Amino acid sequence: MKKELLIATSLAITVVILAYIATLGGGLGPLFSDLRPLAEVFLGTTLNPEKRFFTAMSPEGVTAIVWDYRGLDTLFETAVFYLAIIGAVAIYRDISEKVGFKGGGLGLSKIVKVVTKLLIPINIAIAISIALHGHLTPGGGFQAGAAMAVVPMILIVVFSRYFLLGLKLSKSLALAFRSIGLAGIALTVFLPIIMALLSGFNAYIMQNQVKANAPVGFPAYVGNVLISGSLILYNVFEFLAVTFGFSILFLLLSIEEDLVKEQMRGEVGEH
Amino acid sequence: MSTELDVFLANTALISLIAIIGVSLYGILARPNIIKKIIALTIFTDAANLLAILVGFRRPPSIPPVLLDLQPGPTEITRFVATAVDPLPQALVLTAIVIGMAVNLLIIFIALQLYRLYGTLDVRKVRRLRG
Repeated sequence: MKKELLIATSLAITVVILAYIATLGGGLGPLFSDLRPLAEVFLGTTLNPEKRFFTAMSPEGVTAIVWDYRGLDTLFETAVFYLAIIGAVAIYRDISEKVGFKGGGLGLSKIVKVVTKLLIPINIAIAISIALHGHLTPGGGFQAGAAMAVVPMILIVVFSRYFLLGLKLSKSLALAFRSIGLAGIALTVFLPIIMALLSGFNAYIMQNQVKANAPVGFPAYVGNVLISGSLILYNVFEFLAVTFGFSILFLLLSIEEDLVKEQMRGEVGEH
Repeated sequence: MSTELDVFLANTALISLIAIIGVSLYGILARPNIIKKIIALTIFTDAANLLAILVGFRRPPSIPPVLLDLQPGPTEITRFVATAVDPLPQALVLTAIVIGMAVNLLIIFIALQLYRLYGTLDVRKVRRLRG
């Protein structure tokens, strides 16, 4: 009890100090009025054909920051995402999701199943649309992946996890698709450097548009369609990685507790 | 809207967010149940994200950081910079939400495995089983 009182008191003091710094002390800078100079640079160059060497050629400022201005930041965030999923898979390394396969006939009532069947294609279409338009409108690979990851979760709840296994969506297949997404991101990161090495120019890691001393870049337009160079590629590959990364976790979380415990004791399974 | 009311509302939002961060830190530090710690951690993440978004906010009339003109000239870009909100906190928060969800799921997997092995989610009892 004494320890909890100590924690509560010290936290209350911290909150008061932080609140003072944030409000009266002005520690967060100018709030709600002026834009910070960095934000002015980002907004002014996000789609500016006149500043060829600085623009990201995307009308969507947030995606331009995520995959161009602060691209390495996002790259390592993706590495954190990768490691979190690998950690969860490592915890379940001895547990197979294929044990106890029962076929169909499980899940919620017929009404729910029919409504779900009608809604799932809409959900998939919206998720793909968010991914492919991420460089034009609010959205992108992360949001599209989160929207798409809803599909396996709803299918597990409504039809049971054996329905996904019947569709051949197993842990290894999802891992393979997620690896394709991550490999695609890695390839897009190094593609300008590979192209520059082959043609004898300079290039940067994660380069999008051409720079002053690095003339190898991704095209901003294909035909008349604005694709914003590498941004659309990053969005599509991140969409794959996030979708199937979350699918793995939902597949593993939905294994029945009895089956997990039996496999941990070594009663059923491959060992 | 008057400036005094603006300042009052902004300070109220900031102080309540920092208070929420304090309460969630108390939950993380002082609650013995791991599920309650995870709930407090998600509240902490959301409060921090909201704080970041609030710092990038701009007083109306303001628009989202999306350029609606695909062939913008200098005047459109100047008007855009003069009215759009700060896109940097939004970019940071959008990755933080998805990555945070993956890390939360990893923590839940660990908690689930802990419960299977020890039969309890109380960190004090898990500690006593050591050795």
